[in-house]
Amino acid sequence: MKRLPLTALLAAFFLFLALAVSIRQAVLMLVGVGMGAALAGARFGFTTGWRQLIEQRNPQGVVGQVLLLALASLAALPLLGQFSELHAALGPPSVSLLMGAFVFGLTMQIADGCGSGTLYKAGLGVPLNMGILPLFALGSFLGSVHLDSWLSLGQMAPVSFSAEYGTGGALALTLALLAAVLVAVRLWVGAGQTWLDKRWLWGAVALAVLATLNLLLAGQPWGVVYGFGLWAAKVSVALGAFDPTANAFWGQAGNAQRLTQTVFMDVTTITNIGILGGALWVSAKAPADSKPLSTQQWVIGLVAGFVMGYSSRLAFGCNIGAMLSGISTGSLHGWIWVPMAFAGTLIGVRVRRHYQF
Amino acid sequence: MSNTHKLQAVFWLSLAAFLAWDFKTSKPVDLRNEPPLIAAGSGQATSGGHCSMAK
Repeated sequence: MKRLPLTALLAAFFLFLALAVSIRQAVLMLVGVGMGAALAGARFGFTTGWRQLIEQRNPQGVVGQVLLLALASLAALPLLGQFSELHAALGPPSVSLLMGAFVFGLTMQIADGCGSGTLYKAGLGVPLNMGILPLFALGSFLGSVHLDSWLSLGQMAPVSFSAEYGTGGALALTLALLAAVLVAVRLWVGAGQTWLDKRWLWGAVALAVLATLNLLLAGQPWGVVYGFGLWAAKVSVALGAFDPTANAFWGQAGNAQRLTQTVFMDVTTITNIGILGGALWVSAKAPADSKPLSTQQWVIGLVAGFVMGYSSRLAFGCNIGAMLSGISTGSLHGWIWVPMAFAGTLIGVRVRRHYQF
Repeated sequence: MSNTHKLQAVFWLSLAAFLAWDFKTSKPVDLRNEPPLIAAGSGQATSGGHCSMAK
C-alpha cells in the first residue's frame, strides 16, 4: 500500500480512538506509530545487534542499544523522582526471571526478533514474523496463566535503585553499569572496530524520546508483552476455554477489569498497534527482504515464537519491558534479565546456524 | 499476488476483525471517565497493565 492511503487510514484510526476511547489512547497510538517507524526505519533489531556482536565482533548494534538505555535512563529516572503518578517497570528477581530470560534470549535468535522485533517485522511484512505474532500472543497468555506456579519456585520483592539510592544514585549506578557493558564489549571485539553507525544512533535517540513520551503520557514505561497476553486471554475467555476467576494472575482486580474492557483502553495494546502501523508505513517505501524458508524452518521458527511468548511472561518482559524499561527506570530485574538472555542467545545463535536460518 | 502479499492481507484482515469483534463485545467505554492526556502531574495514579507485573 502507498504511504498516502496509509497515512489517511492511520489518521482515521486516530480520530476513532479520540472520539470513541480517549484522547490519551489516540496520542499513544501516534507514539506507537513513531516507535514502529523508528524500529523499522533504522532496522533497530535488538536480536540482530546481539548476534552481530557474537558472530562478527561488530559492536555497533550493542552500542546503539547502550546509548538508548543511557538516554532513556537520563530522562526516566528524574521523571520518576519528580512525578508520583509515574510507575517504574519493577519485576521480581526470581527463578521465573532467570529461566524466562534465558529461554527468551535463546528463542529470539531462532525466531529472528524479540518482542518489538517481531512486531515491527510483522508490520514490514516478513512472513515468519507475521506467523509468529499470534503464537507469541498465545504463549504470552499461557505464561501469565502459569506465572504463579513459576513464582512459587522462589522470588524476592522487586528492587528499585531509586528507592534504594535516590534518583542521583540510581542514575549514577545505571550509567556506571552501562559503561561496564561497553568495557566488556571492547574486550570482546578488540581494537580496530568501527563503533558508531548512523542508523543505530538515530534509532536510539528516536526510541529514547518516544519511550519517554510513553512514560509521561501513560504513566508507565513502554511494554509489549502484556498487550499480547491480554488479546489471547480475551479470545480464550470468549471461547469458554479459560476461567479467569480461578487464576492467580487474571483473577487479580486490575487484570480482571481489563478483560472486560476493550483492548483499545490497554496502553501496551495501543502502542503495539501503533508499532505495526508505523512499520507498515515504512514498508511502503522500504519493503523488507526475506529469504524463503523450508517447511522445517517454518515449524522451528513458529515453535520458537510460541516459546518466546511464554518465556517473555516468565521473564517479566522482553527486550522492551524488561531490558529497556526495567533498566531505564532503575529496576534490578532488568540487570538480571540482560546476562541471562545473553547466555540464552549464545546458544540461540548456534541453533539458528544449525538450521540455516 | 505473491504468497507474501496474501499472507499480509490475511494478517491485517485478521487483526482488524479481532479489534472490531473486541470493541463490539467489550463493556462500553465510559467517555465521562476518560484518563488524563498526560499522566505526569495529573494527580491520578496510573493502573495500566505492564509486562513487569507479577500480579
